[in-house]
Amino acid sequence: MEQYFVLKKKSFNDFVSTMAKKQKVVAPIEKGNNQYAFEEVKSGDEIATGYIPTILPPKKYFMPQNETIAKFDISSGQNMEPVVEYEKMTIFGVRTCDLAGIQCLNMVFSDRPRDLNYLIRKNEITIVGFECNDYCDEYASCRLVHNHTPNGGYDLFFTDLGDKFIVHVNTLAGEEIIGQSNVFEKASDQDIKMLNILRTKKREIFAKNEVPIEHENIPGLFDKSYNSKVWEELEKKCVACGNCTNVCPSCYCFDVVDEPNLDLKTGRRSRKWDSCQHETFAKVAGGESFREERGARQRHRYFRKFKYPMDKFSRFFCTGCGRCSRTCMAGINLKETLTVLVEEHGMKNPNAGEVRIG
Amino acid sequence: MKSLKVKDSEYDIKKAKILKAKMLTSMEKYFEIALPGGESLDHEPGQFVEVSLLGIGEAPISISSSPTKLGSFELVVRNVGKLTAALHKLEAGAEVGIRGPFGKGFPVRILEGNDLLFIAGGLGIVPLRSLINFVIDNRRDFGKVSILLGCKSPKDLLFGNELEQWGKRLDVNFNCTVDNADPDWKGNVGLITKLIPGIDLDPERTFGVVCGPPIMYKFVIKELVKKKIPDRQVLVSLERHMKCGLGKCGHCQINGVYCCQDGPVFSYDRIKNIPEAL
Amino acid sequence: MAKPKVGFFDFACCEGCQLQVANLGEMLLDVLGAIDVVEFREVMSEKGPEKLDVAIIEGSITDKHAIERIKKIRERAGVLIAYGACACIGGVNGMKNNFKLEDIRKEVYGDRFKYFDSVETKAVHQVVKVDYFINGCPVYIPEFVAVLKCALQGIPYEVPDRAVCVECKLNENVCMYQKGVTCMGPITKAGCNSWCINNNNICYGCRGMVSNPNEKGAKDIIEKYKVPMDLIVNKMNMYNKCREIDKREQKKR
Repeated sequence: MEQYFVLKKKSFNDFVSTMAKKQKVVAPIEKGNNQYAFEEVKSGDEIATGYIPTILPPKKYFMPQNETIAKFDISSGQNMEPVVEYEKMTIFGVRTCDLAGIQCLNMVFSDRPRDLNYLIRKNEITIVGFECNDYCDEYASCRLVHNHTPNGGYDLFFTDLGDKFIVHVNTLAGEEIIGQSNVFEKASDQDIKMLNILRTKKREIFAKNEVPIEHENIPGLFDKSYNSKVWEELEKKCVACGNCTNVCPSCYCFDVVDEPNLDLKTGRRSRKWDSCQHETFAKVAGGESFREERGARQRHRYFRKFKYPMDKFSRFFCTGCGRCSRTCMAGINLKETLTVLVEEHGMKNPNAGEVRIG
Repeated sequence: MKSLKVKDSEYDIKKAKILKAKMLTSMEKYFEIALPGGESLDHEPGQFVEVSLLGIGEAPISISSSPTKLGSFELVVRNVGKLTAALHKLEAGAEVGIRGPFGKGFPVRILEGNDLLFIAGGLGIVPLRSLINFVIDNRRDFGKVSILLGCKSPKDLLFGNELEQWGKRLDVNFNCTVDNADPDWKGNVGLITKLIPGIDLDPERTFGVVCGPPIMYKFVIKELVKKKIPDRQVLVSLERHMKCGLGKCGHCQINGVYCCQDGPVFSYDRIKNIPEAL
Repeated sequence: MAKPKVGFFDFACCEGCQLQVANLGEMLLDVLGAIDVVEFREVMSEKGPEKLDVAIIEGSITDKHAIERIKKIRERAGVLIAYGACACIGGVNGMKNNFKLEDIRKEVYGDRFKYFDSVETKAVHQVVKVDYFINGCPVYIPEFVAVLKCALQGIPYEVPDRAVCVECKLNENVCMYQKGVTCMGPITKAGCNSWCINNNNICYGCRGMVSNPNEKGAKDIIEKYKVPMDLIVNKMNMYNKCREIDKREQKKR
């Protein structure tokens, strides 16, 4: 049977500090200007309420920006020891879009050949999800990709019911957290009813897709879109800063680099986040670049969200979080790009959705 | 943050020893390399390895020797980057790290019993040589074998002695052309595409095997199509920067395919609808 | 193996980059373990040997005497590293190039100006060949050490040719433009780990411009945030005036 508990908001601080005593807890904190970031917290009042997607998604804990994958010592030959760096932690407050992002990464890194570093690290992380009762802002397109409601991928899941949270227990690890502190009560029928009312209300709020096309027609749209004019428009706008990929919860491209110590004998081999938007990304040693134009690189990003992973994993890698649009200085907006494609190919269906800007 | 030793990491390297090293041209250096204990690399022709020098980095390098050569394998490295520049400083006795082999090589089982037309431009001979020597070592299993080789000038020719041997064999039809001849050059001058029309072949049972600089593919494939060789019988080996070799890092991605896992060898049939491939 | 002999030299600059190196802290011991410093005016009085393995140059070239001196150092050195904005891109000294040389000399030296020569400010690579660049005003110590290691290994160091924004975003800073402040991050080369913005300052463009910027896109952005174009140009020229010399040389070729 499904397990629901409730946590009174006045007990929230107790809950977080108990959890933080047990192991490291990271949660969204406010950085100013309505910007948020996951950082370590010790108590509940450090955690931002009503936060929109953080600047970087929680992928930074699953695949660190600069991750040691091996240590080496060449004093007596090419001696290398592959390592994994990991840390036990609980991520509190993962929105449904970001849960989907973690699921995307799980697929990629458990696909063979498996990535042991990722898989070992992932097992040390406890995930506490957090429901969005309403849109965060005009950039989100979570309904379009069916991520406005939870689709698993968490140990515990919090929903705000006013003076309390209702908490869904999904795993044994989640159950253990509930057992750690005495602040949880079993949810009553009334609590479940309130949750259902909230979900019904959400169906009205998230009634239509954020782009005027049906979910199931998106792959067909991208089948036609390779030579669309919209990529030429993006060519003019994009400054290739790579921020759209760094903030994307499902972008996982990386570079492998060696960092010797000053003795030039010992050091580390590491993986660093990289971006297909950078000019050097698809360059080979001879100097030839296989994706020279910014427009082609933007197209590649869109196809890596809506087409290629659909073919390989039967899943969109766009989670609808809106970060790429929110962060883009040049104003490249995912909802707008998709809408232009939809209109260009005569696939617009106003009944399916509408562009909500502002 | 804890750090744990990982067994069976895909990133682990094998300590390999350079048995022989010699400059082939001013830019390309040849290495014969052995894995510890004479372990076989167990590769398919057309595959590549990731070569490491710890502290400097790692780079994908095509294997140039045939798997029929036991106990060691061969690489030819052009000095174009950080790692390759450092490799060029190494001589016999030095150690390098090896990961792999990676990728899909040439489908040798499918090629058996068929005629083969090899077309190599410039450095393209390096990976093709792994298949050419495999075919020569198993010559009875294949039909007619033709090799067309093109490069900028006579001084850029790699494997001069071997080319001479191929040229002398009665069971191999060998032809070579250079863009710019020098006074001693007695062979063809001009683009490699000019040699294709003159080749006598049975398109139904011929596989065209092509490797060269990116610009070459379109023109060569056009000629092979004119010769009525079916698209699925045209094989190409593509160059991309395979950083991880594991289908993850994204650098070698060609539209939806990862060159390091799905390639580097593709049939033209497979890639003709992949716009970023050629 | 003998440790490589390294000399530090300064030209027109504030010597702040030397100070950064002298203040390396714990890492200084590691650095001194790897190299043999034979000449470094700020911390020692000895003059080095004729042949140097590595010469590390601070400051820009601003008079005839400096031109001769840097050429001699280049002859002495196996490897030459330019460090700091003045040496790498001309830096703030480049602002001199906004004026007529004669006016500058009169302003600075008064009626005796004839006794003091002056030439157009140049970055080091605009006078002699430079093997490594360590950008920044002052240099970012982790990058200084990274470049030093490359020089000792004899392998190239590539200055990241992407915007500071990349590193800034990875540090999860709130964008200066969102705060309503004009920042040079979008057109400035990364490699400093967005040091200034991490400390609540803007980017001043001290590392030089990215090499292939989307000018049209950048203009759109500047317009979007209603920043006057001449303000951006002025800000850029504060450190990057000498880029005009590179452009001039490119045209000649």
